Amino acid sequence: MATVTLEHVSYTYGVGTPFGIRALDDVSLTVRSGSITGIIGHTGSGKSTMVQLLNGLEKPAEGRVLLDGKDIWEDPKRMREIRFRVGLVMQYPEYQLFEETIRADIAFGPRNMGLGEEEIAQRVRDAIKFVGLDPALLDKSPFDLSGGQKRRAAIAGVMAMRPEVLVLDEPAAGLDPRGRDAILEGVCAYGKETGATVIIVSHSMEDMAAYCDDVIVMANARVFLEGTRDEVFSHADELLSVGLDVPQITHLMLMLKQRGFPVPDGVYTVETAASALRGLLQ
Amino acid sequence: MKNIAFGQYYPARSPLHSLDAKMKLILAVLYIVATFLCKNLLSFGALLLSAILLLLMSRIPVRIVLRSMRPILFIMIFTAILNMFFVKGQTELWSFWRFHIYLEGIYSAAFILVRIVVLILATSLFLTYTTTPIELTDAIERLLSPLRIVRLPVHEFAMMMTIALRFIPTLTEETDKIMNAQKARGVDFTSGGLISRARALIPILIPLFVSSFRRADELAMAMECRCYRGGKGRTKMTVTHLRMRDMVALLLMVCFGAGILYLNRLGIGYTL
Amino acid sequence: MNQPFIHAKDLCFSYVEDDGRRVPVLDHVSIDIRKGEYVAILGHNGSGKSTLAKLFNLILEHDSGELVVAGKDLMSEDLTEDDLYALRREVGMVFQNPDNQLVATIVEEDVAFGPENLGVPPKEIRERVDRALSTVGMTEYARHEPHRLSGGQKQRVAIAGILAMKPSCIILDESTAMLDPHGRREVIDTFERLNREEGMTVITITHYMNEAARADRVIVLDDGRVLMDGTPVEVFGEPERLLAAGLDVPQCTALIHALRKEGIAVKGDPVTTEECADIISKLLEEKGHGNRHA
Repeated sequence: MATVTLEHVSYTYGVGTPFGIRALDDVSLTVRSGSITGIIGHTGSGKSTMVQLLNGLEKPAEGRVLLDGKDIWEDPKRMREIRFRVGLVMQYPEYQLFEETIRADIAFGPRNMGLGEEEIAQRVRDAIKFVGLDPALLDKSPFDLSGGQKRRAAIAGVMAMRPEVLVLDEPAAGLDPRGRDAILEGVCAYGKETGATVIIVSHSMEDMAAYCDDVIVMANARVFLEGTRDEVFSHADELLSVGLDVPQITHLMLMLKQRGFPVPDGVYTVETAASALRGLLQ
Repeated sequence: MKNIAFGQYYPARSPLHSLDAKMKLILAVLYIVATFLCKNLLSFGALLLSAILLLLMSRIPVRIVLRSMRPILFIMIFTAILNMFFVKGQTELWSFWRFHIYLEGIYSAAFILVRIVVLILATSLFLTYTTTPIELTDAIERLLSPLRIVRLPVHEFAMMMTIALRFIPTLTEETDKIMNAQKARGVDFTSGGLISRARALIPILIPLFVSSFRRADELAMAMECRCYRGGKGRTKMTVTHLRMRDMVALLLMVCFGAGILYLNRLGIGYTL
Repeated sequence: MNQPFIHAKDLCFSYVEDDGRRVPVLDHVSIDIRKGEYVAILGHNGSGKSTLAKLFNLILEHDSGELVVAGKDLMSEDLTEDDLYALRREVGMVFQNPDNQLVATIVEEDVAFGPENLGVPPKEIRERVDRALSTVGMTEYARHEPHRLSGGQKQRVAIAGILAMKPSCIILDESTAMLDPHGRREVIDTFERLNREEGMTVITITHYMNEAARADRVIVLDDGRVLMDGTPVEVFGEPERLLAAGLDVPQCTALIHALRKEGIAVKGDPVTTEECADIISKLLEEKGHGNRHA
């Protein structure tokens, strides 16, 4: 279990070039230990930068990134340890696969940690269970797998390191509904079973609504909204006003409310919407 | 990778920018020839003067040009010193143990220095600073097109250059991403011996190769969909014709060359 | 005019694995697409939807069955190389990864690539490029470098590159899959406008339900077969079959179905959020729930 905290973090890209962009502007937030937290925002809202700050791939220009209350930059020589504790799955992680077999690729991270062979084998087995990858695929080359399978293998490669915080940047990008659900369910299973904190960065409000406990909404390099899923989706009108999507069902219920009907706020699942409307219509 | 200042296109409105790229290639070659024609103080003086004029005409900040020369500063100084110590002549200025410095050596060092500086200025001012890569590729294709008769794949070569230019930023960005992904899995690029550092590159290079092949595949398909069939029957949107100003520039360059030859004959001072 | 623009009957396609095994991808697919139609082809990854699209402009060749596109029989023995290029000009294709389909280092040079290949005179290329860029709303980026554009902008440039060849049909092969919601909207708006205003035949291949719901017609592929083919209302009216094919239904559709299951008589099959809101508003009013503000 681990808590991630950002304290007054600012970050600018391309300092000293004509393309300098303020990616994060005095951002402070806390991700609850053991929660599944979604970070959502436009492209360029600073969420991808945040991901790289969390495991020390980038250093904040100002402010501090804390893991369990300790500044991760306190001792830069020990950054590798931080990276083992905060696992990062980048966008389109299937493009990082390189070993001859899936097994070797998933074992790559644990091996870098200096674990024993037996432990590594156990972790590989556990990791593929989380992502739902068929053990028969373990001895195949990563390049013989389908896109969805490759994605799962790549995510398993980070899970096998057993990070206390698992950060995923757009883990479901480009996948079809079945592939998306499989991946997101796997990620949640990892969080629930190991007690790890899971941070999912995504464009999809629907995925946030379906899988996350807490949601952080980024806009213009700042935190725009932050809270539990119920709290955030009860501000649907504000989300729409900054040009963000809300789940279709949330949008529908907001429209009904604006037309003066007594429907509840912050509805984000079809089931809640159906039961609310049933009450009114029967 | 991202901070290469050496000879990157600098957008501006200047007489040099507005010349046709084909002509600029020809001018650059002529100018390089001219630097090698220079023999004495007068001609080198004229050369240096012309280079300064060109620099001012290009409207590129002098600061940027000077900064771009920094990487070769060492070579310049080294060559100059060699010349200073090893060129023997009549007028000895200073001697110490086995080293003798002659006036001719000083001249020679100065000349070489001017030559190197002007060579770099010639290529960067005529070509890279004032001409976009795509104009340059096009110009090379046009100028080399007679070679098609001897079955040289001129169009294919130019197409390759264009695609390479197009994908350099994309692949640079991709390399960064893959490096970050592998760092997150505990790869350490900065410590260890030479062998372990080289090994650390494998997780970068393999995905990069695989992805480049995939990109190449997809690009080839997209190009086929856009009816690409090599240079056959192909036209160009921008057809550039040589204009009056290009001809004037050529004339000036030829006069300059003739001037250099004339100045060489006025044997003043040391001659290379 | 009676002849469909694309006529496919019993199309089969399979690819050969390294070990010589034939893996079927498309299994007796029959589809007719009229000129000017706006069709979404929906299916999970590996359902054969992208393969089908690649048959339409002869990037891939089918094994058996009839396929006539723009009046050309693609099985015909006497299809010349010129016919092939004429077909590719007529049926333009935009792919998934915006980075891997732009050739040139300047936006307008890239848009010119197609017409240049076709041997169009320079002056006309210029006109076509300007027109295409203005159609996709990228005129102000004409002299930009593609790698500095956003994903949605890159895809619009790719569309402009196709438009400059003056096609009568444009196929979008998962062209929105790698984009964020904003970029996706940009691209969808662009091709919908082409369909409405210029009568362009648009075939969009996607696994986003909300995107497919906007088309005139939705074709659902599952394991290489046509599972459903109809208007969005018809197709999304059967959520169980869609779910079984590994697809979603739009949340509004799911809501209407949930209400019907509860025995509430909901009239109509809304596809968009507004339509759904209208239908439910009417029901709520009938039940006497105040519509105080309206």
